[in-house]
Amino acid sequence: MIYAVAVLVPLFGSAVAGLLGRAIGDRAAQAVTILCMIVATICGETAFIQLVWGGAPTGTVRLAEWVSAGSFHVDWALRYDTLSAVMVAMVTFVATLIHIYSIGYMGHEHKPVARFFSYLSLFSFAMLMLVTANNLLQLFFGWEGVGLMSYLLIGYWYERPSACAAAIKAFVVNRIGDLFFAVGIAMVFFLFGSVSFSTIFAAVPQHLNDTYALFGTNYRALEVICILLFIGAMGKSAQIGLHVWLPDAMEGPTPVSALIHAATMVTAGVFLMARISPILEHAPVALGVITVIGASTALFAATIGCVQNDIKRVIAYSTCSQLGYMFIAAGVGAYQVSIFHLVTHAFFKALLFLSAGSVIHAMSDEQDMRRMGGLWKKIPLTYTMMWAGSLALAGIFPFAGYYSKDAILEAAFADGSPVAIYGFVCGVLAAFLTAFYSWRLLLMTFHGRSRADHHVLEHVHESPLVMTGPLIVLAVGALIAGFSLRGLFIGADWHAFWRNSVGVAPGNHILARMEEIPAWAALAPSVLALLGIALAYIMYVAVPTLPAGIAARFAPIYRFLLNKWYFDELYDAVLVRPFFALARLLWQVGDVTIIDGVPNSIAHIAEDSAEQAVKLQTGSIAVYAFSMLIGVVLLITIFLIFR
Amino acid sequence: MAMIGLGHYLVVSAILLVLGVFGIFLNRKNVIVILMSVELILLAVNLNLVAFSAALGDLVGQVFAMFVLTVAAAEAAIGLAIVVVYFRNRGSIEVEDVNLMKG
Amino acid sequence: MNGSLATPEIVLALCGMGILLFGVLRRGDGGLICSMLTIGALLLAAVLVAGGAFGLAFEGQFLVDPMSVFSKFLILAAAILGVVLSLDYNAREGIGRFEFPVLMLFATLGMMVMVSAGNMMSLYLGIELQSLSIYVLAAFARDDVRSAEAGLKYFVLGALASGLLLYGITLVYGFSGSMDFAAIRQALSDPTRVSEGLIVGVVFVIAGFAFKVAAVPFHMWTPDVYEGAPSPVTAFLGTAPKVAAMVLFLRVMVGPFGHVLMQWQALIEIVSVASMILGALAAIGQSNIKRLMAYSSIGHMGYVLIGLACGNAAGLRGALVYLVVYVFMFLGTFAVILAMRRRGQAVETIADLAGLGRNDPALAMAMAVFMFSMAGIPPLSGFFGKLYVFLAAVQSGLWTLAIIGVLTSVVGAFYYLRIVKVMYFDAAREAFDRRPASLSVVAAATGLFTTFFFIAPAPVLDAAQAAARVLFG
Repeated sequence: MIYAVAVLVPLFGSAVAGLLGRAIGDRAAQAVTILCMIVATICGETAFIQLVWGGAPTGTVRLAEWVSAGSFHVDWALRYDTLSAVMVAMVTFVATLIHIYSIGYMGHEHKPVARFFSYLSLFSFAMLMLVTANNLLQLFFGWEGVGLMSYLLIGYWYERPSACAAAIKAFVVNRIGDLFFAVGIAMVFFLFGSVSFSTIFAAVPQHLNDTYALFGTNYRALEVICILLFIGAMGKSAQIGLHVWLPDAMEGPTPVSALIHAATMVTAGVFLMARISPILEHAPVALGVITVIGASTALFAATIGCVQNDIKRVIAYSTCSQLGYMFIAAGVGAYQVSIFHLVTHAFFKALLFLSAGSVIHAMSDEQDMRRMGGLWKKIPLTYTMMWAGSLALAGIFPFAGYYSKDAILEAAFADGSPVAIYGFVCGVLAAFLTAFYSWRLLLMTFHGRSRADHHVLEHVHESPLVMTGPLIVLAVGALIAGFSLRGLFIGADWHAFWRNSVGVAPGNHILARMEEIPAWAALAPSVLALLGIALAYIMYVAVPTLPAGIAARFAPIYRFLLNKWYFDELYDAVLVRPFFALARLLWQVGDVTIIDGVPNSIAHIAEDSAEQAVKLQTGSIAVYAFSMLIGVVLLITIFLIFR
Repeated sequence: MAMIGLGHYLVVSAILLVLGVFGIFLNRKNVIVILMSVELILLAVNLNLVAFSAALGDLVGQVFAMFVLTVAAAEAAIGLAIVVVYFRNRGSIEVEDVNLMKG
Repeated sequence: MNGSLATPEIVLALCGMGILLFGVLRRGDGGLICSMLTIGALLLAAVLVAGGAFGLAFEGQFLVDPMSVFSKFLILAAAILGVVLSLDYNAREGIGRFEFPVLMLFATLGMMVMVSAGNMMSLYLGIELQSLSIYVLAAFARDDVRSAEAGLKYFVLGALASGLLLYGITLVYGFSGSMDFAAIRQALSDPTRVSEGLIVGVVFVIAGFAFKVAAVPFHMWTPDVYEGAPSPVTAFLGTAPKVAAMVLFLRVMVGPFGHVLMQWQALIEIVSVASMILGALAAIGQSNIKRLMAYSSIGHMGYVLIGLACGNAAGLRGALVYLVVYVFMFLGTFAVILAMRRRGQAVETIADLAGLGRNDPALAMAMAVFMFSMAGIPPLSGFFGKLYVFLAAVQSGLWTLAIIGVLTSVVGAFYYLRIVKVMYFDAAREAFDRRPASLSVVAAATGLFTTFFFIAPAPVLDAAQAAARVLFG
């Protein structure tokens, strides 16, 4: 019951703020949404605690029947198991802090912000719907809701053309992933005859050897389904190839970036992998693909992060990279570890984004790090918070990232297959780069000589308490989440904690084998991270001329990275331009001859027949009565003929 | 002289029905004639009901005929009232004039 | 055997007579008070319907089952919204007399008897009570020549249709030996009893019902009457009587005539296809929005008849769901049409809607929702209505019907979307007068239902399922 409250209350808050926002004013709208989020958080945490320590039974909370058409039967129901409860607890908690933070951040807006809070709450609701879904269709509903809300929030400042473009890009790229996802759901339904998770998972063993024949080759049905669903997850979780929307999504207000990157949306893909793990366990090829894509993304995004100059973009690429780690974990069968990293990441990534927001707020909306520097004395609290976040991100003991990221790399190493080793290597290298760009960000922003103009500097101020409060809470989370949750999530008693909510095949002992890897492999990530910090210190504090020199020496590589591996350009050349050319062609050929030709003639036929149809409608009673008589005679004739 | 059976009644009532229906759309003159035609149709119905009732030895048909008579009276009253309203507006009750709305 | 099953009808009849007396004895126009009393009486009837038991009464003349309860709720809802819609219009048009709500009450009573009919006699009495009241309502604006003409046309053709229906009933009675639905069904289960005469009778009955639900080729009266009748009457006429007639149609065809399904199925298919096609095509050239809605409703009835043509529980459920969805879309659209008033003068051409998107965004939004829904665009309720009948048709192997249905809904989308285009993109005209609260309430309620039906369609689906199951054991 309280579980349903946790999910539905944000919807209520959103509805009140959205529909009555004008009438009740901004203050009241903020109060309502935040109050609702707090209620949701309390309920969400209570539900989680009851499940983990209170011994509450898992199950489903059925809300209503949704679609019932023939054999296709779907309910609105909330799934109450460890996986969902963890996600609900995390999403409500982080989203609430972001709501509170937004009061301060959006305080300088000239327009009413009730709409903003309404969107935020609705976004949270969609995500909650997604993580508590009891069947694939409801999950898809939340999935699409999250996509739609991200479109609205990224494009919140709709007067800015770049914001609108970014919103559309996010929407389109997500649609590509969603298309595969929808096809995947359809194939699940055709294979299993149901979209309900419990039915699907129970039936997996019966369909192990089902195949689809495609282009003369037979493919295992489970592999096809998993890969389709994974492509959907790639779109949402911004994996390489479908990642292009994520950095542009920084056009939205910073709290939105934090919400998208930390608690909701991008983690949906990782969550989906954990949710369908009972199927994934029987799809080794798909698991391999997931590992490779995840590992490539982790390294690829980290390289780009090293040369970006926009403070939010650096963090955005770090999200991309961290999501890659989570997919590596999922790919080697350590779903528990991927969710563990998802939760710790939620804390420190929200912390980083909100701190960055605090910096941007202090710098009068300046986001370019080249025009910052030396800020640490003016905004010490934000500075401290940024340190905490960066330490966690880089995976330095004892911060949260240390436990979860190392666990992922250990799992990859323990797996030992070539694909997993590729994941391990990429992950370790990315760990080095992660530490490097995190300290690059810290040092460029807070240390050295100030490069901002003095008008801006005069206004630099520490953020108000509504903004720093959530930061402190998150910093505490980033510090303790690692070692406090480790025992639960991936400790020896993980069976008792997860209670079958993630499917682990009997032969999968990855968590046990993690403990047995050689010491050098376990230490490598931490050592490399420290090296990364040292390198950043050398380049940006000790020898400040070095970066420019390196950039000049290795100009092609620098430009390659700066331009994000030319992904946007590649898509532009390969997809967008031909598409426009095709569209133009279709317009010229199609519009003139076909669109104007065929449908116009169809329209003419329709209009002509419309005229004929109403010609009988003369208004005369006699004609009407006569037509009725004709009707009766006609029907009797047909009746007598057909009997 | 042959016995007059159920078939004969049915034929008469069918003729009455056809007369009534034709009266509605062949008549171009007067709306009152249409009202009379409607009565004719109901007459055919009543004849059928009573004939069947007698043939089946079942009283329900005759009871129904009573109901039809009653309703026909109400129907005639309402029909005439509408005709009066129409006449006040239009100044005519010619059937051919009733075509303000069409298409 | 227990007369208390008819309590809602009896109470409604008594209330109707009471309100009539009150209106007559009171000095001056009692329009508003009598309307309020009528709404109260209808609500009371709804409560009584909700509290009633199932069973047979009056020697099988009157039956209460999930199907009749389902349709009574729908009819009462349509009637209540219809009375609400008339409040402001009647006052402004100077026809706010107390007889208006009373006539609506009696029409509603007739419909409730119709859907509870278990015998040809109660069927006929229900139909006549309903029809006679509505003949008068259609001609209610007695100083308006178009209203008078609408009343006259409806009366003449309606009387003819009643005559045909009655004639059919007598033939069925004669050849099956009974008036009672159950007894007729029993008799027809023996194929040797199915004679030519009976079949002719069934066709006459189909013709009578097809007239009441305005299906082609018995639809000719619809556009003229819808256009001429006062707008609130049209809103009422297009919903509640359609529901009652359609439910009765379903019940009679599937119940008493269920065993001759093979014979009538083809006829219903033809009527359904013809209605869908005519509804889609004839509406294209219309400029008067009430007339357009008339053709639109003919098309919608074609879709509902697909459900009947399936002749199984799934089809019936689809038809009932479609009726629910249709009633709310139609009433909502008429709430908008009634709000079309410039300087105290009602206007009703489509071109008058131009600029509504700018002048009154909320109203334009509601209208757009209804139009999109009627065009069958997901996730609005109209889509689900079509979805269920098409699904049922496909499952029953009636591919032709489903395909023609999809094609005509595409053509139909053309004129619905044209209205949206006019509202949002055409050069703006002068704004409408301030819309009265009663219309806003109806438009908002029906609009919300139409928009959010997809979230929780289960209650409607379950009720329709239960209703459909009654007829199929």
